[in-house]
Amino acid sequence: MADQPVILQMQSITKEFPGVKALSNVSLSVKAGEIHAICGENGAGKSTLMKVLSGVYPHGSYSGDIVYQGEIQEFKDIRASEHAGIVIIHQELALIPELSIMENIFLGNEPAKRGVIDWKEARRRSIDLMARVGLSEDPDTPVKDIGVGKQQLVEIAKALNKSVRLLILDEPTAALNESDSQHLLDLIRGLKGRGITSIIISHKLNEIEQIADSITIIRDGKSIETLDVKADGVDEDRIIKGMVGRALESRFPDHTPKIGEVLFEARNWTVQHPTVPDRLVCKHSDFFVRKGEIVGFAGLMGAGRTELARSIFGHSYGKFLEGQTFMHGREVKMHTVPQAIDAGLGYVTEDRKTLGLNLLDDIKSTTVAAALKKITKGLVVDMNREYQVAEEYRRSLRTKAPNVDEGVSKLSGGNQQKVVLAKWMFTDPELLILDEPTRGIDVGAKYEIYGIIQRLASQGKGVIVISSELPELLGLSDRIYTIFEGAITGVLDKDEATQENLMKLMTQARKNAAA
Amino acid sequence: MDALKKLFGGNTRQFGMIFALVALIVLFQILTGGLTLTPDNVINLFNGNSYILILAIGMVLVIIAGHIDLSVGSVAASVGIIVAITMRDWHLPSGVGILLGLIIGAVIGVWQGFWVAYVGIPAFIVTLAGMLLFRGLNQFIGQSNTVPVPKDFTYIGAGYLPEIGPDTGYNNLTLLLGLIGAAAVVYFQLRARREAKALGAEVPDQWVTVTRLVLIVAAILYATYLFATGRPGTSFPIPGIILGVLVLIYGFVSSKTIIGRHIYAVGGNRHAAELSGVQSKKVNFLVMMNMAVLAALAGMVFVGRSTASGPFDGTGWELDAIAAVFIGGAAVTGGVGTVIGSIVGGLVMAVLNNGLQLLGVGADLTQMIKGIVLLLAVAFDVYSKIQGRPSIVGLLMRGIGGNGGNGNRGVPAQPDETTKTTEVLARES
Amino acid sequence: MAAVAAIAALALSACGRSDSSSSASGGTSGFAQNSLIGVALPQKTSENWVLAEGLFNDGLKNAGFKADVEFANGGVSDQQNQISSMVTKGAKVIVVGAIDGSQLGTQLKQAKDAGATVIAYDRLVKNTDAVDYYVAYDNFKVGVLQGQALLDGMKAKKPTGPYNVELFAGSPDDANAKVFWDGAMSILQPKIDDGTLKVVSGQKSFDQAVTQGWKAENAQKRMDTLLAASYNSTTLDGVLSPNDTLARAIITSVKGAGKPVPVVTGQDSEVESVKSIMAGEQYSTINKDTRNLVSQAIDMVKKLQAGQKPDVNDDKSYNNGNKVVPAYLLPPVIVTKANAKDAYANDPTLSKLTQ
Repeated sequence: MADQPVILQMQSITKEFPGVKALSNVSLSVKAGEIHAICGENGAGKSTLMKVLSGVYPHGSYSGDIVYQGEIQEFKDIRASEHAGIVIIHQELALIPELSIMENIFLGNEPAKRGVIDWKEARRRSIDLMARVGLSEDPDTPVKDIGVGKQQLVEIAKALNKSVRLLILDEPTAALNESDSQHLLDLIRGLKGRGITSIIISHKLNEIEQIADSITIIRDGKSIETLDVKADGVDEDRIIKGMVGRALESRFPDHTPKIGEVLFEARNWTVQHPTVPDRLVCKHSDFFVRKGEIVGFAGLMGAGRTELARSIFGHSYGKFLEGQTFMHGREVKMHTVPQAIDAGLGYVTEDRKTLGLNLLDDIKSTTVAAALKKITKGLVVDMNREYQVAEEYRRSLRTKAPNVDEGVSKLSGGNQQKVVLAKWMFTDPELLILDEPTRGIDVGAKYEIYGIIQRLASQGKGVIVISSELPELLGLSDRIYTIFEGAITGVLDKDEATQENLMKLMTQARKNAAA
Repeated sequence: MDALKKLFGGNTRQFGMIFALVALIVLFQILTGGLTLTPDNVINLFNGNSYILILAIGMVLVIIAGHIDLSVGSVAASVGIIVAITMRDWHLPSGVGILLGLIIGAVIGVWQGFWVAYVGIPAFIVTLAGMLLFRGLNQFIGQSNTVPVPKDFTYIGAGYLPEIGPDTGYNNLTLLLGLIGAAAVVYFQLRARREAKALGAEVPDQWVTVTRLVLIVAAILYATYLFATGRPGTSFPIPGIILGVLVLIYGFVSSKTIIGRHIYAVGGNRHAAELSGVQSKKVNFLVMMNMAVLAALAGMVFVGRSTASGPFDGTGWELDAIAAVFIGGAAVTGGVGTVIGSIVGGLVMAVLNNGLQLLGVGADLTQMIKGIVLLLAVAFDVYSKIQGRPSIVGLLMRGIGGNGGNGNRGVPAQPDETTKTTEVLARES
Repeated sequence: MAAVAAIAALALSACGRSDSSSSASGGTSGFAQNSLIGVALPQKTSENWVLAEGLFNDGLKNAGFKADVEFANGGVSDQQNQISSMVTKGAKVIVVGAIDGSQLGTQLKQAKDAGATVIAYDRLVKNTDAVDYYVAYDNFKVGVLQGQALLDGMKAKKPTGPYNVELFAGSPDDANAKVFWDGAMSILQPKIDDGTLKVVSGQKSFDQAVTQGWKAENAQKRMDTLLAASYNSTTLDGVLSPNDTLARAIITSVKGAGKPVPVVTGQDSEVESVKSIMAGEQYSTINKDTRNLVSQAIDMVKKLQAGQKPDVNDDKSYNNGNKVVPAYLLPPVIVTKANAKDAYANDPTLSKLTQ
C-alpha cells in the first residue's frame, strides 16, 4: 500500500470567509486506489476542504495548490473537476425525485445524437451501471419511489457514468439503516478493487475503522495528522483523541452556578419524523433542567438534538407520539408555539437565517417580535416602548449597530445572535433552549454570548445549550446529556465529563455506554 | 441635494414614488394645458379609481403575507350583482344592502381563506379558481344582465358631501375636512418628534420638520381648494372619503397593531414567525378574508358609480390592484410593502391613465405605456437593490448634478459563515 | 396656524366656485364651430367600430370640429373614465357607443351638468335621463330581415320543411341583442309553433341562445357542443346568427365537424363575411352601412352646433327606463349573394369583392 503513487495532494490550502478562517494550511495526501477517511468535529472544515477540491469554491478563492495526477489543477467550477474525474456525492442527494433512475443517472450528461437523447443507448448503459452498483430495479422507476439507500446507489452509478477516478462521499451513510450502510460500504470496497480512489467523510467511527486505509484528521480548520489504519493500529479511541485532543481554546467567563429545584422535566418524550412514518427522531427521552442550571446536549449532527428541542417547543417539529412535559412539577401541555411561550419556554434556533430571523426586519421590531403583547396597549403597539426596549437590549448585550432601526440583515452573525437572544430574553422565559448559540460567530462574540447565558442562569432561569462544540459544552454546562440516533445515551456531571467519554456516548447506543 | 434628502427622510423608496407622482402630475398639467388639476378632473380621478385603490389596500396585505389574490374582480362583481338584485327584489334600503354586501364578501373570504390557510393550497390556485367561480356566479345570478340599483345606493360611488352652512362659495364640509386633515398632520408630526426626542432617538433638524410640514400642509390645502371649488353640488367625493378612512385604518393596523406586525413577520420568514409564536394560519386566513371584504366594498362602490351592476364588472381589476402594489414598492416574495406606498402606486397608474386620456391617446397605447411603467418602476427598484443605491430618484438626482446616489450604499450581505441552510431544509422536508 | 393662514388666503382670494356651467342643454343655443366633440366607442371588437373611428375622426374634422374618439378596451370602467375626461376637456357633444348602456348614468349626468349634449350611437343608453338623442339602425327590423332571410335561404335549398335550425343571440349586456332576437323571433316563432322549424337542441329561449361579449370563441364553442349533442345523424338546415363575426364562427364549427354548411344569417357586412357570401357559404348579412350611421350622427352634431333641433323620426319607441329618447332610425338592408353587387356599389372595399 505504502508504495502506491499519490493521486491527489492538497498542499497548504487556506480558505477564508470574511471574519472566519475556515481552513488554514491544510494538507491532504491521497494514494491511488485507497479509501481515505477524513475525520473531524462538526465545523472542523471537512466539507469546506471537499468543496475546494471539487471546484465549488473556484480556483482563486483559496490559496494553496491542488496536485491531482501529477498536475496542478485550477478548477473553476464543479464541471471542471468532474471532467478531471473527481466526483463529489453530497450528504443531501442531488437527485430529482420525479425523474426515473435512468434519467437521473444521465442528467446533465445525456447520450445524444445531434441534440436528441438516445434513450436506447441510455437504457443499455444504465442497466450496466446499475449492475455495477448492485441495484436491481427497473431503470424507469422514479427515484422518489426507491429508498434512501438505493438513491445513494443511483448517485454512485451517476458518478461511475462520469468515469470517476476519485470519488468523494460526504456522510454517505448518515441517513441509511444498518444493512443499507453495510451494502454501501461493500460497494465502496468493490470500487476500490476496480481502481477507484475514494475519500469518505463520516461521523460513524466504527465504519471508518472498518473500511478506511488511511485517515486524515482535521480540527479547527487545520490538518492534524494522517494515520495509516493498518500500520498504526488505529481504533475508535485513537481517532476520537485526534479529533478532540487539544487544549480548550475558548475561554469562559467566571461563573458560580446557583442551582435550585427542578424547573422543567420531560418524560418518555417520543416523536416521529414528520414524513417518514416508522422513523423515530426522539426515542423515549427523559431529562430535566433545574433552576439556574445550564444543561448541555451533546450529539453528532443528525443525532436528534434539534428535533428534541423543537418538538418540546410547541410541537414545532415532527409528529408527537407520546410523552409528558412538566414545569415546576406540574404537567403542562404545549401543542403550539404560543402555548410553549406562555408556559415560559424560549427557543433560539440553530439556523438563524432560515428559522430565526426575518431578514427584512430591523433590530427593534425583531427584539419585540415574540412578546408584542407586552408593549401593546389596547390595540396599539407602543412604538416608543419598542424603541426603548430594543435600545435597552442593544446596550446591555452590546450589539454592534448604529441604532435599532438598522436592518438585521446588515449585522454580523454574532450581533444577529444577540438580537435573537434579546428577542427571547424580552419574553422573560423560565427555560431558554439555545440551539448552537455560537455557530458561525467569532471568538470575541462567543465570549460575550457565554456571559449572557451565564447571567441568565444566575437569574434563576434554566438554560439548555445544544452544541456541536464539545469544549463549549464542557466549559458552559453544569450537566451534559448525550444523544445518539434520537435516544439519550447518558448524562454526565460537569466534573466527570471529558471530551473522550462524551464522544464515546455520542457515538454508540446506550447498552455500550458506561454512564 | 443633501437638504432634499434630509427633507424626505431615510425612506428613499417612498420619496421616489411620491416624487414620481408629483412629477407625473406636473407633466400632465403642462401637456394638457391645465386640464389635469381642475376640480372636475381631480374628482374624476378619485371617483374613477377609488375601487382599484380600495383593492390595492387589501392586496398589499395579501402580498406582504406572501400570497396573491386573482379573484378580487370577480368577487367584486359577484357581490355587486347580489346586492343589486336583492335590493331590487326585496326592496332593501341601501344601508342594509351595503351591510349585506360586506357580509357576502366576508363569507367568500372565509371560503378562500380556509383553502389557503388551513388546507394549504397556494393562494394563486385558490383565487384563480375563485376568479372563475365568482365570475360565473355573477353571470348566473344576474343572468348576464345589467341590474340597476336605487338612486340612493349610488351615493357611495358617485355621491358628494352636502352643502351646509353659509354660502361661502366653497363646499363647507370639504373645507372643514381639509383643515382637520392639515391640523392632524401637524399635530401628529410634532408629537412624534417630541416623543422621539424624549427617547433620545435621532430626530431630523428643526428646519427639516418645519419645511416638510409646510409642504404637506400646502399640498392638503391645495387639494382642499380644488375639491371645494368644483361645480356646485360637488365636493370631496364620497368614494374618496371611504378611501381615506380605509387608508387611515389599514395604515394604522399594518404598522401599529400586533396583527399588522404578524402579517409582515409571516411574509418575511414564515418559519421564524411561527417559532416566535405567530399563528401563521390565522394570519393567512385573516388576510385572505379581509381582501374579499374589501373586494366586496370596491364592487359596491363601482356599482354605485355605474348606477348598475353588470356581467363584466371588475374584469382586470386584480391586475390593476397588483400593479399598484408592486409599483408601490412591495416585493413579490412577501414581507415588504406599505399601504400608503400602494396608494401612491395606484395613483401613479391613475394619473397616467387620466393624463393620457385627456391627451386623447388611444386605449391601446395607454396600455402599452402602463405596462412599460410597471416594468420600469420595479426594474429600477431591483436594480437599486442590487447596487445598494436608492431607486429612481437617486438616478434622477445624479442627472441633476449631485452625487445623491451614494448616500445609502448597502453593506454587502454577510456570507453565510458555517450555517447550513440546506441541512435545515433537508430536515424540514 | 399655517392652516388658519391658508384659509385666510383662500377667503381673501375669493375665487371660489366659478359658475362655469352653462344652462345649455338640448342644443337650443348652439356652440362654437371649433368645439370639441367626444366620441366614446366600445371595445375594438369588430370591423365596424374601427371603421366608425376613422369616419368620426374625418367627418368631424371636415366639419370644423375637434374630435376626440376613444375606444374603451379596458371595459366599462375605462369607458366611464373616458367620458369623464371628455367632460373635463369641455366636449360640447358626446357621442356614446356604450359597452353596457346601463352603467354610464353618473358620467352622462356629469356631461349634462357641464352643458354637453349626449347622443347614444348604435346602442341605447338606459337607466338615465341624461341622454338627448339616439341614432341607430332599426334593430327590430334587422331581426325581422334575418328571420325572413333564414326561411328564404332554407326554402331555396329544400322546398319543403320541416327544417332543423339552431338559434344564436348576441351578448346579453348589449341592449340591441334582445331587439335583434325579438325581431327575428317575430318571424320564426310562428314557424316553430306550427312545426315548420325544429330547434333540435331545444334551446329556444334568449337566455339559452346568448353569446357572452359577442365573442366568436363563445359562439364556436356553443356550436361545437350543439353539433356533438344533437346532430350526429340529423342534418342542420339553418342557423340564426345575429352578426357576421358569430356567423363565421358558426360556419367554422360546422366545417370542423365535417358537416355541410347550413343557411347562416349575419349582420354588419364585414369583409370576411361578404367574401363568404360570395363563395356561397354564409347565406346573408345585413348592410347597415356605418358611413350612413356616422354621417347621420355628425349631421346631428352640426344641427346642434347651429342651435337647431336635430332630425328625429321616432319619438315614441325608445323608452330607456327613465325617458323616451327621441331617435333617428336608419333602415337596414338585407344582402345575399343575389343582391350583393347592388347593395355594395357605393362601398369602395366591398364593391371589389362582389365583382
